[in-house]
Formats: sequence, structure tokens, C-alpha cells
Amino acid sequence: MRRFVLRYLIPRITQYLTIIFVGVTVTFVIPRLSPTDPVEAQISTITARGSTLDPQSIESMRVALTELYGLSGSPVEQYFAFWGRLLRGDLGPSLSNFPTPVSELIGQALPYTLGLLVPALIISWTMGNLLGAMSSYYPKNRPLNAIEVLGQVVRPIPYYIVALVLLVVFGYFVPIFPFSGAYPIGTHPNWSIEFILTYIYHAVLPAATLVLVGFGGWFVGMKSLTSNIISEDYVEFAETAGLKKNKILFSYIIRTALLPQLTGLAMTLGTVFSGALIMEVVFGYPGLGSLTIRAIYSNDYSMIMGITIYSIIGVATAVFLMDLLYPLFDPRVRYQ
Amino acid sequence: MTSTAGGAATAAFWICGLQQLALDALWYIDPDAGIDGVWDNALASEPPIYNDDFTQMTVKLREGIYWSDGVEFTADDLYYTVDLLKNTPGMSNHGLFDGSIDHLEQPDRNTVVFYLKAPNSRFHAAFTVRWGAQYIMPKHIFEQVEDPVAFKYNPPVSLGAYTLRDFDPNGKWYLWERREDWQRTSVARLGEVSVKYVMYIDPGPSDKRVIAQIAHELDVIHDITPEGRITLARESPSSVGWFPSFPWAHPDPTLPAIIYNNERPGLDKKEVRWALTLAIDIAQVALASYKGAATISAIHVPPTGMYPQYYHEPLEPWLNDFTIQVGGQDYKPYDPTAAQRIADLARESLGDLVPTDPDTIKQYIGAGWWKYDLDAAEQLMLDAGMQKIDGKWALPDGSPFSVPLMSLGESNPTMNRAAAMVVENWAAFGIDTTLDAQANLWPIMDAGEYAAALAWTIETWGGHPDLFFFLNSWHSRFYVPSGQPDMGSNSMRWQNADLDRIIDTMQRISFDDPQGIELGQEYCKLAVQEMPITPLMAYNVFTTMDTTYFTGYPSIDDPYTNPVPNWGNTKYMFVKVKPREA
Amino acid sequence: MLKVLRDLLKYDDRFRIAFVFLTAVVVMILLSFVSPYDPCKSFVVPWDLPPSREHLFGTTSRGQDLFWWLTYAVRNSLFLGVMTAIISRVIAVLVGLTAGYRGGWLDRVLMSINDSFVILPLLPILILLGFLLRSRMNLFYLAVILGLFGWPFDARLIRSQVLSLKERSFTRTAVYSGTSGFWITINEHLPFVLPIVFATTINNILWSIGMEVTLSILGLSDLTTPTIGTALFWANQHGALVAGVWWWIAAPTLVAIILFLGLYLLFMSINEYIDPRTRLRLIGGE
Repeated sequence: MRRFVLRYLIPRITQYLTIIFVGVTVTFVIPRLSPTDPVEAQISTITARGSTLDPQSIESMRVALTELYGLSGSPVEQYFAFWGRLLRGDLGPSLSNFPTPVSELIGQALPYTLGLLVPALIISWTMGNLLGAMSSYYPKNRPLNAIEVLGQVVRPIPYYIVALVLLVVFGYFVPIFPFSGAYPIGTHPNWSIEFILTYIYHAVLPAATLVLVGFGGWFVGMKSLTSNIISEDYVEFAETAGLKKNKILFSYIIRTALLPQLTGLAMTLGTVFSGALIMEVVFGYPGLGSLTIRAIYSNDYSMIMGITIYSIIGVATAVFLMDLLYPLFDPRVRYQ
Repeated sequence: MTSTAGGAATAAFWICGLQQLALDALWYIDPDAGIDGVWDNALASEPPIYNDDFTQMTVKLREGIYWSDGVEFTADDLYYTVDLLKNTPGMSNHGLFDGSIDHLEQPDRNTVVFYLKAPNSRFHAAFTVRWGAQYIMPKHIFEQVEDPVAFKYNPPVSLGAYTLRDFDPNGKWYLWERREDWQRTSVARLGEVSVKYVMYIDPGPSDKRVIAQIAHELDVIHDITPEGRITLARESPSSVGWFPSFPWAHPDPTLPAIIYNNERPGLDKKEVRWALTLAIDIAQVALASYKGAATISAIHVPPTGMYPQYYHEPLEPWLNDFTIQVGGQDYKPYDPTAAQRIADLARESLGDLVPTDPDTIKQYIGAGWWKYDLDAAEQLMLDAGMQKIDGKWALPDGSPFSVPLMSLGESNPTMNRAAAMVVENWAAFGIDTTLDAQANLWPIMDAGEYAAALAWTIETWGGHPDLFFFLNSWHSRFYVPSGQPDMGSNSMRWQNADLDRIIDTMQRISFDDPQGIELGQEYCKLAVQEMPITPLMAYNVFTTMDTTYFTGYPSIDDPYTNPVPNWGNTKYMFVKVKPREA
Repeated sequence: MLKVLRDLLKYDDRFRIAFVFLTAVVVMILLSFVSPYDPCKSFVVPWDLPPSREHLFGTTSRGQDLFWWLTYAVRNSLFLGVMTAIISRVIAVLVGLTAGYRGGWLDRVLMSINDSFVILPLLPILILLGFLLRSRMNLFYLAVILGLFGWPFDARLIRSQVLSLKERSFTRTAVYSGTSGFWITINEHLPFVLPIVFATTINNILWSIGMEVTLSILGLSDLTTPTIGTALFWANQHGALVAGVWWWIAAPTLVAIILFLGLYLLFMSINEYIDPRTRLRLIGGE
């Protein structure tokens, strides 16, 4: 146990903290290299649209905002203050939805992103691995080969283009799926069967985007991993021993190959998350991606900061949790 | 939705319907003709009463107006609103009220008297809605709140004809219901409020809005691309716009222009600014930005609302004869056929959608603009001492002359497209320029850290001719050098003694003095001569209304208000719009 | 080299398809040098014309011939990809070789930073960067930024390659004979690492072009330079879909798919040709 803590747990925790430290520091430094001052940006947003503010009132607003955004003091002081606010979960108010806190808006959007991302990720990972393993075990199977080709063709295409093609084809030219949103205008999110069904209906194309782009990678990865295992002695031994093919496939081949695939899943979380953001923009799905583009359009600097930090912490935490669960699947880590 | 009764400080404020349906102000000035004239006494019973030296403003309020929770609206609310804002830092207008109001008095339940710290003949502008203004807050609600700055005014108590019935926590939609007692609100005297439910929806980008209207799912949409509008014209016969045909759009009383930093070497010369103007082909800019569906303006006020009558038409003879010096010769830069050229070019791709009658073209697309004349532009550059080195213009001392053009980025496709075209025109003339699309160019302009920007600094009342609305902060008294944040709308840093005189005179006369138009025309002539910024066109908004279920929308033929749904004035639509008889 | 090409053409379907697609891409790039139109000029042809023999991909609402415009777009996108790949290769090779060869605490620190960059969600960070640098953004800066973020996957791969090489006998011989660490790295390891570097280069180009598309859609790149991303950006700005100008969206999409598939299949094919064991690479797509 002590070895496990020293050799496995401590390095993982260190790595987790390193990621967050690197991410937060990058997020702190980047805006301070920029020439645009968020206080001026906020003032201009208000005065841009024909407001009758006079010069004196703008000046007093400037003082108030500098105070509010914690932009006073030296960069070092600001950096510590930044961490302080972060640890308290305070990312300041959104500029475009003033004075609603950024964390509140992110909190509203997050369930939509996760509600789509997590199932899509599970589907694409499970499907890719299962089909990939089967395809290496049954190399002559035609439907499996066709699926492999589909996966390989879609895999290199950017999420945006896949989403756009799906939307244009199935939302516009052959409108069998909704063109936008996560639920119809005028309804409230709730737990009724009816709402869940419309929710799923609205999620089909967005989820399909993530699955289509994602599963090809797992498919190929699993296929090459399992084809190595199939040639190993114990598989041949099992076959000659007359074990059922399916049993061999699931109990010996897939189980062995799943571990590196699990590590791979953790490593790609950041990428898939990024893909989900841009996919949401295409479908107008009310998650973090849509929040991001709204923030870009309305110059909501504090919101973009908030989303970046939340994404970093969120993805790092997800990876960390997967690291913690990993020993449950891999006995070697437990007993080393 | 958040507490915003303090002023136009949030986006949700005008997207959700609050300022259109639930808030009310003392006065409204219509950007168009208005239902009963441009000026409307909403919560006030008559226009502001100033004393002789403009240090006191007396406001008389209407009786019989009620908040939606049944409490009567009185001078207590007005007094409370102003007093709270004046004494609460962090609320909008705090600076204005604290800086200009000495004290308030409330002689009776329908009267409030403002005692001002300095003479100000336009103090009422703070309470007069054009796009937004100081709305009145309910004393009986806010006085029970500990921290009014952070107070979430939700659900809001309404002073308008509607109350908020339901809304989506993600901000996708807001449903409003007509008040049972809508007769006890200020719009009731103008007609019957017939629409029972109103929903404000965030339908996503332009394409999604257009598709929804073709399917008759959205009655009023706006901020769509010109292409989207053309598609509606072709595929949705029930969709109508401000103009019955091309260019359809409602021209907002805002003037997109090329704004120069008048302090940059080179751009500090009037000849150079004129050369850059003559190097722009307005027809191409109109095509690139609005597919020709633009309303152009050669002078420095938007060609919208009542302004063509106040300014553009009276000044046309002067423009025709106007000359500048080019190479020591008199040169007439005005091209009265510009709008006609735009119409002819647009007709090439849009055919019969584009009007042919010259008067209609003048009303819809505008009159003339400045000539596209590269020879004259070249001569002007040389007159200013500029040099052409290897086909690129340089400053008199041979150092580079670079004019990157900032524009509004992807959130504003038409402006961005116009800027891309101007960049192309200038590059063809030998100017070293690039398109610099910024989501937020305002702070950069305010700081003076730019050479040129396609944006706007001129916004007018639309219906009322008084130009003090934007000229106020152009007085050299408020001048701030480049590098420090400017606090008004003089981001081009134009300083001129004649301009100061015009502004001073305006401030001394009352808001409705007929001399105001004369002074305004004088300003227009001065701005043309100096060309501190190059005016382009009206800010056209493709607000499109579907007549399948409702009729009575405003239009150029019945210009009772502005249909652009995020403006506060659209509250007047709800007394004119009627369900279509089944 | 020619023999390799012939072998691949003969035995590998994927390589054949990649060859055809990439040849089409190269032809387009070459054509851009003889284009009759300047891509920075608008209204040079009638606008909104559907594809025809005269205008292969139709014309845009800005009066540009889409086919010729896209020849520049492909050229610029590929230029961006190659630039990014070069910059990130330098970092990846340096980090990978150093970590792999030196080992110890330096390896642990480098790999810790490396893994942080692997896991960090890049898009939000790039959005923040693009949002703030927009005024100065051009293809070169974008390549630098992407290059600075695009190395960690490959650095780890190169490191693991070095670790396995280190165990081989010739390294030990070199060490015993007194050759300095630097020269061992350069002379002995680099030649074995180069094939991987080449394969990952293609993958990195792919990633970089894809990122450009994503950032352009959000309006966060240099919008006046024709690229595959800006083609789609301007089509969106002109509401091409509802305006019925579908070819303005279809053509760049098609060109993008050909380019992406071509590069991807080339990567897969070469990867296997070089070393069947580098399949580790295939596990996660960037």
C-alpha cells in the first residue's frame, strides 16, 4: 500500500496540481500581454449604443470598475489575488450580463455540455473498442470493414465541418432533425418522459458529430492492439482448448487491450472537449460552446477567462479521477 | 434577468423585452415620426419646464398610472429613483446625477423640481428614451432592498402594459402577458393594446432566424444578413420590411463612417482625409456590405427618420456647388448620381426587386455621395506633400504612411464586409492598409490608438433635429490627446473653433428652438469642408415582420415608430399591431 | 525513395488514395501561381453564379471566382500547417531527446510539463489568445502559436523511442568510448528518431489546419488571408446557406475533406511502412 501511494498516488496528485498550476498561470499571463484594457472595454460597450452618459459619469464608472476587476496593484499582487479569488470560486461578474457572476452562467451551461459530451464519449469509446476488437478477430466481416472505412474517413475532418455537414444535410435540406437548440422554445427543462424524449431528439445530431469523429480512433487503436494479442500464445492455446470464440474475444482479448485504451481516453479528453465546444456553436446548443461564442461576440472578457479556467480545471479533474480509478482495472498497479 | 432599472447596462436588458414592455420613462423621442408626433410625454404630462437660465427643470407627472402590483405611480418614484442613483456609486447614471444635480424638491405628488449645479438646457435628455434612458424604479420595491446594486429585480414590477409571465433560465426566451389593467399605463391613451402574449426569443444567428420566419415561427426578426433578407423577399411573401421593396431595412439613426484619428501624421491633413474619401467607391462598398441595400449619406448626419427633411434635402443645392481645392483648382467632389449607380448595379443580380423610380431611389437608397476619382485623390495627396514611393504613399519625409482599418468583427457582418471593401479600394490607390477586425474596437478608438476605423460616433434622435445629442462631447473642452482615454464620442480628436462656437450656441438655446436646425446645417457644412470622418450610410437593420398572424407594423408609409425590436420605442408597436382577422 | 513510392503505390490502397488526393491538392497550389484573379479583389466576376464550366466552383457574393480563390486558400492553409509543424517539431525533438537521453529529474520535470500540455483543453486557451491578439493575428503568428502548443504528444513519442534506443548496445559502446552526450544524441539517436518525426509532421500539419478552420469560424484569425477557414467564415458572413449560394459552403468543405483525408491516409500509410510498432500513435487522435 505504501508503495502504491508513493509510486502511483503521489505522482498523480503532483501531476494534477502541475496541470492546474500551468493552466491557471497561462490564463493569468495571456490577458496581461494584451493592449486592451477590460475596464475600457466595459465602458465602451455601454457607451457604444447611444447612451446619454456624460464625461463625468464615465469617469466615476471607470474608478468603480477598476476596483471591481482587481486590476489595482503590482502584477505579483494581482497574481496572488487572482489565485485567492479562484480558490473562493469567484470569477467576477460577467461583463455582458452584468452583474450576474460568471460562475453562475457557466453553471447553467455546464449541464448541457456534460449531458451531451459524457454519453457521446461513452458511446464512441465503447463502440470503437468493441467494433475494433471484433474487426481484428473477424477480419473478413464486411459490415465491420465498412464501418472501419467510415470511421477512418470522418476521423481527420475537423469537428466544425462534420457538424456543419450534418446540420445542413439533416437539418436543412432533409429536415428530419431540429435546426437548433437543446429543447423547443417555450418549454422548461424538466424530468418528464416527454421532455426527455425531445431532449434526446435535439441531441441526436450534436452527439452524432462527436461519435462520428471520435470512434474511428478507438477502432483503429483497438484493432492494432488486439491483433498483437491474437497472435500471442495464450489466445492460440485458448482456441485449441476449444473455448467459445466470443468468450475468448471478451474475456481475454478485449480485457487485455482495454487498459491502454483507457489511458488513451484520459489523454484525449481535452481534445474531445474542445471539439464539443465548436460543435455546440454550429448547433446553437446551449452549453459552454455557445456561451463562449456569445462571450466573444459581446467582448465578455471575464466570461472567456472564466470558461478557460473552468475548462482547464474540469478536464484536469476528469483525467485525475480516471487515474484514480485506473488501479481498479489494472491489478499490476495495485500489487506493485 | 438582472436588476437593470438603473440604465442600459446589460445585454439581456434589451433582448428580453424588459425595456420594451415593462419599463417606462418620462419622455420618448421617436427615431421616426411617432404616433402623435415625434415627442411623446409618457410618464410626464408635459415637456420639461426650464427656468430662464436653465438651472431648474420642473417635471409634471401623469395621474392614473399604476405599477403592475396595483400601487399607484407618483412623484415619490421619480424622486426616489434619482435620489438613489445620485447617492449610490456603482449604479449607472450615478456620475451624471451626482455631477449635475444640486438637489431635488417634490412640491406635490405629481411634481419634481431638479435644481442643477450648472446651466444645462438638455438635462431632460437623461430621461428621454431614444434607444434607452433613465427608467423609473418602483420606490415601494427598492426601498425594502438592502443592496440595490446587487438586487435581482426578478420578477420585475411593471410600469408598462405587460408583465413577465415565464422565462427560460438559459435566456433563450421570455414570455410576457398583457396586464389586466393595461389601461392604467402610459401607452393606453394612444390605442388599444391588442396582443395578449409577447415572447422574446434568442433564435441564434441570421440563418436560423430566416429559416424560422419562412416557417412562420417568428413574427419579427432582426439583425439578419442582407442575403437572408433577399431570401425572405423571394420565399416568404408574407414578410414585410420598413421599405416595401429593396432595400427593406430600417435605417437606424446611426451613421457608420470611416473615422480617422485626426492626430496621426498624414491624417492630420484635411487634403489626405479628402483623398481617402475620393478613393472610396461607395457603390462597391454598398454592394459588398449590404448587397446594395444601403441608405447612403454624403453629410455627417444619418439619412434616417426625419433627417432627410431637416438636413439632406435643404443642403443638396449647396452640395452640388461645393468645391474643394485640388492642385490649385476648384474641384466639385459631389456626385449626385451615386444612389442611382448603386441601384443599377444591384439590379444586375436582384432584378425587379430593386426600384427604378428616381424619387423612390432617393428616399430608399439616398441621394448623392462623393466621387470615386483616383486622379483627384492623387493630386490631393501631392498637395498635402505626401510622396508616392514604389507605388505606396509615404509621408512628406518619406517615412511610411500606414492606415490599417479597424472594423467590427464577426458579430457585425455588414460593417465588417464594408470595411473589407474600403481596404480593397484604398490598397488599389496605393495606401498601406489592412483589415483589422476587432470584436470591440471602441476602447481602442477611445484611447486614440488607431489610424482609421469603420464604426460610428454620430447618433441622432432620428425624429428630433437637435444635434447636441452627440455634439456635446465634441467640444474642445472635452478634448483628450491620443494615448489617453477619451470620454465622449470625439474619438477622432477633431478640434475646431467654429465647431466650439456652434456647440456653445446650441447649448444656450432651448431644445425646440428653430435656430437649432440652422446651427445643425452649419455643422454639416463645416464637417464636409474638414472631413474629420468620412460618412458612409445609415446603420441599416433588416427587421422583418411576418404578416401571417399580425398586421399594423410600422413602415416608411406609416412611420409611427421604429420596428427594430431591441429599441425601447418599440413599445408603441403594441398599440398598433393587431391580430389578423381570421 | 522512388522505390519506396513504387512499393507503397503497389501494395497500399490507402497510399494510392492519398496520392490521388494530394496530387489534386498540389495541382491546386500550383495553379494559384497562374491564377487570373487576385484573391484580395472583390467584384471581379459576376456574383452568386452557381458552378459552371466557366466558374468551376461558382462565384461568391463578393464577386470572386471560388475555384481560383480556393487555390490560394489551400496554399495558405498548407503553408500554415507546414510552418506549425516545423516549429513544433523543433520543440518536440529537443524536449523528447533531452528527456529521453538525460533521464532523471530533468526527464520528470519535462514530462510533467509535457503531460500538462497534452491534457490542457487547447481550444479555450487558443480562443483567449486569439481574442486578445486579434489585431495582430496573421498566418505567421498563428503558426507560431499553434507550434508552441502542438508538440507535447510527439515529444513523448520521441522520448519513448530514445528510451528504447538507449538500451541498445551501440549507445553503450559510444558512452564507453567517451563520446559526449550531445553527439551521441545527434549522431546515434536522431537518425532513428527522424522517421517518427516525419510521420508526426504530417499529423501535426493536419491538426494545425483543422485548428485554423476552428479559429477562423470564430473570427479569431487573419480574416483577409484566403484559407479554408476564412472561406467558410466569409460564406457564413454572407449567409450563404439561406441565400442559396450553397456552393460557397460546399466547395471549401469538399476541398478540406480531400486535403484532410489525403494527409491522414498518407500518415497512416507511412506510419506503418516505417515501423509497425509505432501504432501507439494511433491510439489517440490529436
